[in-house]
Amino acid sequence: MKKTLLSLGVAVALGASFNAAADLRINGFASVYAGQTTNSNQTMYGYDEDTTFANESKFAVQVSADLSEGLTSTAQIIARGSEDYNAEFEWAYVTYQIDDASQVSVGKMRIPFYKYSDFLDVGYAYRWVRPPQSVYGLSFSTYEGASYLRSDTLGDWDSTLQVVYGNLSEDIKAYTDADPAEMKSIVGVNWTMAKDWFSARAAYLVADVTIDEVNSAPLSQLFAGLTSYGLVSEVEKLRTNDDSGYFLGVGFSIDYNDILVDAEYTELEVDNSVLAPQSQYFVSLGYRIGSVTVHTTFEANEDKHEMNRFNSVPLTVNHPQLGTIPVSVDPTNPNAPTLRALTNGALQSVKVDTSTWSIGMRYDFHPSAAFKFDYSSMDDNITDQRTGLITAGVDVVF
Amino acid sequence: MKLVYGLLFASMAATADVSVIVHPSNASTIDASTIEKIYTGKVKAFPDGSKVTPIRLAEGNPISEEFNSKALNKSSSQLKAYWSKLIFTGKGTPPDEVNSDAEMLKLVAANPDHIGFVSSSAVTGDVKVVHSF
Repeated sequence: MKKTLLSLGVAVALGASFNAAADLRINGFASVYAGQTTNSNQTMYGYDEDTTFANESKFAVQVSADLSEGLTSTAQIIARGSEDYNAEFEWAYVTYQIDDASQVSVGKMRIPFYKYSDFLDVGYAYRWVRPPQSVYGLSFSTYEGASYLRSDTLGDWDSTLQVVYGNLSEDIKAYTDADPAEMKSIVGVNWTMAKDWFSARAAYLVADVTIDEVNSAPLSQLFAGLTSYGLVSEVEKLRTNDDSGYFLGVGFSIDYNDILVDAEYTELEVDNSVLAPQSQYFVSLGYRIGSVTVHTTFEANEDKHEMNRFNSVPLTVNHPQLGTIPVSVDPTNPNAPTLRALTNGALQSVKVDTSTWSIGMRYDFHPSAAFKFDYSSMDDNITDQRTGLITAGVDVVF
Repeated sequence: MKLVYGLLFASMAATADVSVIVHPSNASTIDASTIEKIYTGKVKAFPDGSKVTPIRLAEGNPISEEFNSKALNKSSSQLKAYWSKLIFTGKGTPPDEVNSDAEMLKLVAANPDHIGFVSSSAVTGDVKVVHSF
């Protein structure tokens, strides 16, 4: 699990300027998964009806240098199959151990939204092929900034408190699969209390969110149309431009006599945005029988705008010369779609309502490796369509 | 009834073969719960406040497995999953490992801040046993 190298040669070879005494620790993990949907013409979690290996497979190496006096420098490089195994720095940070109870880190790190956020990529650390995607669905996961972590013992309870501050700037999945996004002044706090076989966690984060609609032709045209009628305030209600957003997450875990229970509830909302307020949850049960763990999970999510968000665009406006004119894509054509209908359509199109059942097993067949098999069935309650997915593979740590 | 107790005692004695050891100068009282906290990285100091450096026997060693199950209540896979969560998030590093009882005894006998564990039958007068599992 651990390899400590006391070699200047290795440090130099890795392109780092550690001193000769820097204690290097190299760890890694990998996952290789194959999956396919159970019916043709269906896609789920990046899989389709043909068996594919690359989608969720990944290889990662982490190098951590103990620079003494409480300072540690860590970099984690991941090559994901979904990105043609191009290696990228997923984490890169420097940690200072303030005292036995607290540490501060600065650099590129994981945003601690969920209980499993920090080790999302480390399949070996959990029982599923992937954490329940209804909850763990945000497409962005790292930020640049600072994190303060404090561990305390409060009576019989272990308390872990984390405070984060930072920014994020990357392409995220919002209107299309890749929209330029910025999150400024991310401030978050999360607190975990654990005792024996029980732990509970709560997280709250806020940020100023901007997501450029440039890659979405329908949204860009809608905003241009509304602007041409002078309906700037209607555009502002839809455009995600420096709008405040929040994330709330609560959850608990039980690991009692080989019985495992996990549940998380999350909600997310960005003010004045075409993106709908979201809420999601999952409940998962597992049972360990020696080196085999069997589990089942139910999860659901709902993204939906309140009714009062609809029909706010006027059907007509008063033009100084032309008098009352319709607000539509073509005012000269009485049958042209109105901008109200298009706006309602945009607000409706972000609606999501799914529920998913999964069953699976994990088999620890080797001291450093686990085999996993999951079957998931997702019901889309809007289209009334059911999609099944089978995934099997291996997670290793070293 | 006496016979039953006798058998019970004998069987307990037969499995109590992991001894947790410290430097002879270490005066801290160290119970099972403290040992568990030290070896899972939750506590970084002895009860008297001085720094603790836990050392373990390498994975695969039968005493190591016995320590995992009795002191930490985890299989080696569960322990590895536990440390994965900390290692890859910069929240902790597992104890350093040595390969044999002899190496462990030598290290603990020479370092007042060390804590280790060995097969009970290997214990010598150079170290102090604080707990047996």
